[in-house]
Amino acid sequence: MLTYSLRRLMWTPVLLVFVSFFVFLLGTYGPGDPVEIRLGNNYTPELAERLRDRLGLNDPFPVQYGRFLGRALRGDLGESLTFRGRDVITLIGPKLLTSAQLNVAGAIVAFGFGTPLGFYAAKRQGTWIDPSLVVGALVIFALPVFLTGPLAILVFAVNLDWVPVSGWGGLFDYRVVLPALTTGLPGIAVFVRLMRASTLDVLGQEYIQMARSKGLRASVVNYRHVARNALLPIITILGFTIAGLFGGSLITELIFGIPGIGRLALDSVFSRDYPVITALTLLGAVSLVVANLVIDIIYTLIDPRIRLR
Amino acid sequence: MISAMGKYAILILAAASLAILAACTSRSEEPEPDAPVMLQTATPLPTRSARPEIAPELRTTPEASSPGASGEIPYGGVFTRNWSDPPTLDPHLVTDTTSAGIVVEIFSGLVSLDENLEISPELAESWSISGGGTVYEFTLRKDLKFSNGDPVTTEDFRWSLERAAHPDTESPVAEIYLGDIIGIDEIIDGRGNVTSADGIEVIDERTIRLRIDGPKAYFLAKMTYPTAYVLNRANVNAGGDTWTDEAVGTGPFVLEEYRIGQRMVLARNENYWGRKAYLDNVVMNLAGGVSMSMYENDEIDITGVGLADLNRVQDPTEDLNADLIRVPPQFSISYVGFNVDEPPFDDPKFRQALNYAVDKETIAEHVYSGLVLPAYGIIPPGFPGFSEEIKGLRFDLEKAKQLLQESRYADPESRPRITVTIPGTGGLPGRDVQVVKDMWSENLGVEIEIQQVEWATYLQDLNRSRLQAWGGLGWEADYPDPQDFIDILFHSESAGNHGAYSNPDVDRLVEQARTEQDIIRRVQLYNEAEQIILDDSAWLPMWFDTEGLALLKSWVKDYAFTPIIIPKLKNIYIQK
Repeated sequence: MLTYSLRRLMWTPVLLVFVSFFVFLLGTYGPGDPVEIRLGNNYTPELAERLRDRLGLNDPFPVQYGRFLGRALRGDLGESLTFRGRDVITLIGPKLLTSAQLNVAGAIVAFGFGTPLGFYAAKRQGTWIDPSLVVGALVIFALPVFLTGPLAILVFAVNLDWVPVSGWGGLFDYRVVLPALTTGLPGIAVFVRLMRASTLDVLGQEYIQMARSKGLRASVVNYRHVARNALLPIITILGFTIAGLFGGSLITELIFGIPGIGRLALDSVFSRDYPVITALTLLGAVSLVVANLVIDIIYTLIDPRIRLR
Repeated sequence: MISAMGKYAILILAAASLAILAACTSRSEEPEPDAPVMLQTATPLPTRSARPEIAPELRTTPEASSPGASGEIPYGGVFTRNWSDPPTLDPHLVTDTTSAGIVVEIFSGLVSLDENLEISPELAESWSISGGGTVYEFTLRKDLKFSNGDPVTTEDFRWSLERAAHPDTESPVAEIYLGDIIGIDEIIDGRGNVTSADGIEVIDERTIRLRIDGPKAYFLAKMTYPTAYVLNRANVNAGGDTWTDEAVGTGPFVLEEYRIGQRMVLARNENYWGRKAYLDNVVMNLAGGVSMSMYENDEIDITGVGLADLNRVQDPTEDLNADLIRVPPQFSISYVGFNVDEPPFDDPKFRQALNYAVDKETIAEHVYSGLVLPAYGIIPPGFPGFSEEIKGLRFDLEKAKQLLQESRYADPESRPRITVTIPGTGGLPGRDVQVVKDMWSENLGVEIEIQQVEWATYLQDLNRSRLQAWGGLGWEADYPDPQDFIDILFHSESAGNHGAYSNPDVDRLVEQARTEQDIIRRVQLYNEAEQIILDDSAWLPMWFDTEGLALLKSWVKDYAFTPIIIPKLKNIYIQK
């Protein structure tokens, strides 16, 4: 299993070359031009030509791409076209970290609330609690962030005045609460549903009956046997959450004034800031690969059967 | 790219799809234009603010409190507002309002615009004009200092002007703002081999002489623009492309802290030549947030009012109502442009028919609830050169039909297909273009197609004159001179003339106006040109900006709203 994962990891550079190639290709031949966006109304053909020359945008595609690859291999992803003189890595670094913290907080909320609720719903199957939890989860899932965010602000910040409307101090700052709730809320529903299904599945297994008939205490059966096994498929989803860790939660970030990657990503697309777009795309690819690896590792840790193989 | 003080003018675009985001993420403190149009700045989507009828008892600007009455103006305090990341803080590169709003507080030049938009002395204490209007001699104030204590000399000005023009600086506006100075064009085109301009002459430490290539009345106004600001040579050379992180300037404030996407803090410049700023700090939140809620929670001191909050803030029983202030209109116009090289817009009669067929009064009343002002001319009311005498093409169905019949495109069968392109990313097209489409269809039987393309593509097509007709665009003044509208937008050679409009009479008039010394005569020339342009129906003018609303905390005193960006933070003081 791990060997397979590692082999997959070795393919990552090839994947990255592919990804960057296509981003580059789209950038070069797609509509829109960073120079014209920068010039706006001051556009004159001569001025634009001069700027393109200086930025190397007039070079043939292979030359541009080759230059990019050469630099990238040395860990240099270039400079932003919008923010002059800003190295892409230093530009997106802190923002990524911020978005990652927000997503971790959101995942904690989603997982922390979702799994116990799902487990509880499964254990109460056949009573009114189960369907109401499931329906409740569905309703929550259907609430868009641009509704829950402002609503949370209205209630907890404006009316109750418990927390400020905006601001960011990192994962361990109390201002993280509202954004975390907002980001995590739809995730709760996902985890409730998954955990419920998974728990029901495990409950029907023979080894659970076996454990019960051995006379094990209900709590031991529930937590050591049922919950632990039911968590397995959940981990996969959590893994993908990790993959999305660096993807900003654009709307949440905008609503709560969090200096994350979301807005930068959006702006860089609109302003055709290719170095930033490329960097972010590559990052997306890397996190997906890494997330898969992480999932594999966690699997082996949790499921002894896989470890043995 | 484009913004108020920013370069010549601003493109205003309707960003339909992102309206939701805009509604909850307004980051500009002052409500930008109005319901139908949005300013295109490089980053944020500004508030869609409404411009309603408001009670006359509302303060026009934050009360013009005379400090004398209550004694001394208190120094100290912090003013907090939302802002967004400036594309640049290098004055020579500034072309947008977001950047300009900060740059004018940190840096300054020879002259500046005051709150009445009159040219006033800044670092130059006086100037004289000779040589028939072609020689400007400026005398600097005594003992001028940069914020780091270095003396400011005329040599710094010479270096700065030449640096702004140097190709390595990559200024998109050097030619527009400094090109009148003799020798500047040679630097711009010199591929780096030319570094000095003949027209810039340092007489002594405090006297500098600028010679320009013609008696251009608007030259001094252009010198108020950041492209002409003075920089500290050692500071610029030491910092590479990011020298502005440690910017040394001559403005009332210095940059204390800047974290991209997070916040920016300005602090008082203790070396400022004039009265020092009252505020200790100006804090700008760059991360966004729900502006209105932040305001209510005292996290920011000023916010624009969006459509959604309009009723609430106007309710006299609401606490917020006490903070309500009126924001004077921006000098801007939005329009539907025609490419007069492309059939069917190559026939003036056809264009006139389209103009006469649009009932702007009805649209303003029923679609925008009176929040917009129908435009029948080019120059906005209150702007230098505005004339009541200008006669636009008002709604007249009979005339419209008749003109259509007389045009070469009367027959719908043989009429070329018409596509009006508007910028935006999905979502609904701007309501005005939609309504105009319906009016043309119902009143004239002229069918058009609305095509929405994303901003970057739109801009590229516009620059290449690939659009047959376009909407969702506007123009906003950068400095108070009619040349800013009439010449820039309609001279046949101007890069700002996207519709290939060309009329030798207009060219002749605006060229004459460039160097006309008699102010009255000059305005007359622009008025004549404007009338010809309207008669030719080069555009369908749509809306002028109207008054807007903003909320300002009662403890913030002497905040001035201006239609053009000028340094204003130093006059603000806090009195709780």
